[in-house]
Amino acid sequence: MALLAMPFGCKDIGSSENLFPLTPANVDANAGTWKTILLTSANQISIPDPAVTTQQATYLTELEAIKDAQSKLTADQKRTIEYWSVGGVLRWNQLFRKLVAQFNLPPVPNVDGSYPFPDSENPFSNPQFPFANPPYAARAYSYVHVAMYDALLAAWYYKNLYKSSRPDSPYEVDNAIQSLMPKVDLPPYPSEEATMSGAVSEMLKVLFPTAVEEITKLAADQRNAVKWAGKATDTDIAAGLALGKAVATLITANSTGTFTLSGASGAKTINLSLTLASRGRFRTDNLGAAVGSAASWKALADAAIAKGETPWISLEVPPRPPMLPGFGTVKVWGDPGGATPKADNITPVLIIASERPVAPPSTTSEEMKRQLAEVKSYAKNVTRSQISIVHKWADGAGTYTPPGHWNDIAEEYIRDAKFSEVRAARAFALLNMAFHNAAVGCWETKYFYFNPRPGQLDGSIKTTTGVPNFPAYTSGHSTISAAAAAVLSYLFPQNTHYFNDQAKEASNSRLYGAIHFRADIEMGFSHGSKIGSYTVNFAQTDGAN
Amino acid sequence: MRPTFVFIILFLLASRASAQTITDHLMMPKKDFCTGFLYTYERWKDYWEGAQKRDNQNIGTLITSQIMWVGNYGLTNKINLIAMVPYVKTSATAGTLAGMEGIQDLTLAIKYALVKKEISSGTFTAFGILSGSTPLTNYTPDYLPLSIGMASTTVSPRLTATYKLASGWYALASAAYVWRSNVSLDRPSYFTDGNIYFTNQVWMPNQFAGFYSLGYNKNALQVEFNLTQQNTLGGGDIRKQDMPFVSNRMNSMRLGVLGMYYLPKPKNLALRAHVSYTLNGLNVGQSMAVMGGFLYTFHFVKNDNQ
Repeated sequence: MALLAMPFGCKDIGSSENLFPLTPANVDANAGTWKTILLTSANQISIPDPAVTTQQATYLTELEAIKDAQSKLTADQKRTIEYWSVGGVLRWNQLFRKLVAQFNLPPVPNVDGSYPFPDSENPFSNPQFPFANPPYAARAYSYVHVAMYDALLAAWYYKNLYKSSRPDSPYEVDNAIQSLMPKVDLPPYPSEEATMSGAVSEMLKVLFPTAVEEITKLAADQRNAVKWAGKATDTDIAAGLALGKAVATLITANSTGTFTLSGASGAKTINLSLTLASRGRFRTDNLGAAVGSAASWKALADAAIAKGETPWISLEVPPRPPMLPGFGTVKVWGDPGGATPKADNITPVLIIASERPVAPPSTTSEEMKRQLAEVKSYAKNVTRSQISIVHKWADGAGTYTPPGHWNDIAEEYIRDAKFSEVRAARAFALLNMAFHNAAVGCWETKYFYFNPRPGQLDGSIKTTTGVPNFPAYTSGHSTISAAAAAVLSYLFPQNTHYFNDQAKEASNSRLYGAIHFRADIEMGFSHGSKIGSYTVNFAQTDGAN
Repeated sequence: MRPTFVFIILFLLASRASAQTITDHLMMPKKDFCTGFLYTYERWKDYWEGAQKRDNQNIGTLITSQIMWVGNYGLTNKINLIAMVPYVKTSATAGTLAGMEGIQDLTLAIKYALVKKEISSGTFTAFGILSGSTPLTNYTPDYLPLSIGMASTTVSPRLTATYKLASGWYALASAAYVWRSNVSLDRPSYFTDGNIYFTNQVWMPNQFAGFYSLGYNKNALQVEFNLTQQNTLGGGDIRKQDMPFVSNRMNSMRLGVLGMYYLPKPKNLALRAHVSYTLNGLNVGQSMAVMGGFLYTFHFVKNDNQ
């Protein structure tokens, strides 16, 4: 039978993208001079000179430990080395996307029709904490990538500062040590892998407290991999780990005072001291107010009614409270602050309310009727290829969200450009800061206008993807995707055309799916382009060019 | 062959010519062609999210209706060729999601009578069947529970054994292993079974399919009780408040009752009805399905038995 000749099920479909061992096109040796985001400067957190911390005898012992490890590497350990040799920044970005997809599920309604809210103090209960929905994820992606980037900028600063104390990697010092990862011509102290393992894992543990075991193991694997690969000694690793943890602490500290951050590897421990006059930005960016209350939800509806408009209502059964109505007040990257020190080092300053799109067509207008009819025609006549576009970009519950999708797209370009770890971290930091800003801007707009979805105005409109549980105007997908196209086009100008096409397709997908009006996607798109341009303006002056 | 025996064969064939044509114990004689249409209406309100049974007010009741063309041709007295093509339509009574409809998968099967033996007062028969299915249209499997199918190409070897008493009582057991090809999604990444996959390809776990029946038939009436078992050999559970996913571990055990009547006139026309209900399951809806239809047999060769 012909059927027997068909290709059959193969379990080895590859759970990760194609990544290759990273040999950077340029090691970016001067990255310690680039502009930091949240650190006041790359040397805000000091780490000791390795010449002082490691006597010659200790150093030789550390080299022996590497040789010993290399002499008995298991197949598993070799796989771990291979896994991390494609670049830690790309790996952590992937792993992060997995966590977002895992935690992007809405709470189940209570029997009485009310909804519980995820509780960070009770993360294992039902509902699980967090609900990594798109705005939550956009913020999370930005913090983690900023922490990773700032930590690497600091690592690069100290690599340069202490290069005469510690110029060479273990495999360069001792011929008996093999280099099992691609060679990178950078001083090994502090280890960049250990630095990012500390920064990223400490951030992820705060964001995903029930995944601490998995995160801790991955971070330890990354540090072990560089030691087994002959790339870094215990001292290089301990210093990097402490530095990375210190950067994460600076961002997430929930109290002020002096913190001791400890990095340990093998027999070596390095303690850093960090004094904070204010709580971390992660704790003070106003996310806490994003959920709102029954009274604030009602006030949103009342405000729309007062303007003579039909207010948004949830199309879920039972009606679900709107998703993070206060997210529009969360601090953006480039926020003017007012606090001392300023919230971040980003210029130009972004005032979200000043960028808010003009009002959508009134719910009672002829223009709205026309736009509603257009949505209805897509609902009735949607083609298979349009459905394919709807599903390609849906990125709904249970997925890594639209920001995650664009990280997925960016990964390939960052890989192909062979960016150094620090430049790759910069790319993801820029991209995800723009996503966070786009999400805040979009949410501010959505809840300012509180406009209904097409299916609310015409109950006969059925959709080919789930209707998101928040107001329609403007489209989050359009805002995020336009911001993505702006930042990616800056980073990879030769692909501008492609990024714009993809962003337009993502934006249109929401109209094809009958969950957005044309006004939502068009205004969202131009809003997102504008917000993305702020990040691009910053990137043009950050010293990395 | 005695005329009554042929009558019973035709009668039974007609009665089971859905997926059951593949699982049953009957053969079309050489150059006979049996064909017809069967309509199925299936609905569920409760479903198993993993092992947890629940309903979903944003789905309400999920309704699937299907019209299937079926044909069975006797290549020889020992080899039958079977083909089926359904048109499927789905809808949900609540929520906002649009239903889907279209031509689903072509199933082709070849059925071979391996053994036929008289044992005491009955007849033991064994069949070997090789069947396969493949989507005829480019429908999406990534829109469950409203997708019209799984979009996987399958190949499935099956063994069926049956014992029938001269009095009309019979028992049958049939088991198949279903190889399923990877399916493609319209999106570049998905999360299932605790992992994220950065590809549009989905590995589909293979399945075990069992069918067991006890029945009686005499003259124009047949009654049968049957159990249909589907065990998916791998795959993840639907997560809490998530949508189902194409490679989920979808298991079910269904109890069915078949009632059937062979019309005295017009000759060669059979009517049948089948009702079934999901007793137990994982990651599937607890559905009630009602099927009804007709089958007509053409004799391309006059033989002594007509």
